[in-house]
Amino acid sequence: MIRGGLGSTWSCTMRSQGNVRRATEVSPVSMDELRDLAGGRFGDMVKAVVDLRRGVMLLDAELHADQEAELLAEGSAQPDLWGINLYPDIAGPDWLEFDSMINLRPSFGNRSRGVDDPDAREAIASLVHRLIRR
Amino acid sequence: MSDAQHRDLAAGRWWELSLAEQLGHVGSEVSRAVRWTSRNPGVARGALYRALELLDLTLDDPRQRRSVARLREIARAREVVADFFAGPNQYGSTGPSLQKYFDAYARAARRAV
Repeated sequence: MIRGGLGSTWSCTMRSQGNVRRATEVSPVSMDELRDLAGGRFGDMVKAVVDLRRGVMLLDAELHADQEAELLAEGSAQPDLWGINLYPDIAGPDWLEFDSMINLRPSFGNRSRGVDDPDAREAIASLVHRLIRR
Repeated sequence: MSDAQHRDLAAGRWWELSLAEQLGHVGSEVSRAVRWTSRNPGVARGALYRALELLDLTLDDPRQRRSVARLREIARAREVVADFFAGPNQYGSTGPSLQKYFDAYARAARRAV
């Protein structure tokens, strides 16, 4: 575990803050790790929040709002943050679910718990693909 | 609630959220249960259990305990959810009707965002 300020997170790419796991492209999370995270909390699912601009993903929390608050506190911008759920034992595209209360941001044009913009969904899927070693 | 999936929340943090936030989060799990019911009943069951756990935490909230009306509302919501997913659906609920109910709280909770 490596700790540090915002600058060091780009190089350390994965650290633990309490129960939260952090992943970036340099140090992706493996499926085994993801299964461990799922098994340690909800059984089949891991909650995650991605920052599309910074290429960061926080994994494993009871509420997406906790991960959102952590990312906002370190400088993320709200429109870049999206809540997702990952189901490591589900095959196909269903393993990535776009569903979180933090996505509900009418003032930014997203009026559901999903991700209304197809381009944003594609960008999230692409980032997740890079940050999780399948 | 020793077997709680939401261990931190069960330890008291849930009670720091507003009722709108609480029911909004419950709605997220209800929405997942609805979505997964036909595709993967096991995943749907997990979401239902999380929804019921959060509703039970809400019923245990000392702030809500001060209001009979609020307790009645939350208890009714729990009954309707359990009836739809695990009972005879005697209230004639549908997935969209449940989602619509909880979505109102989610929107209220996120109004400032």
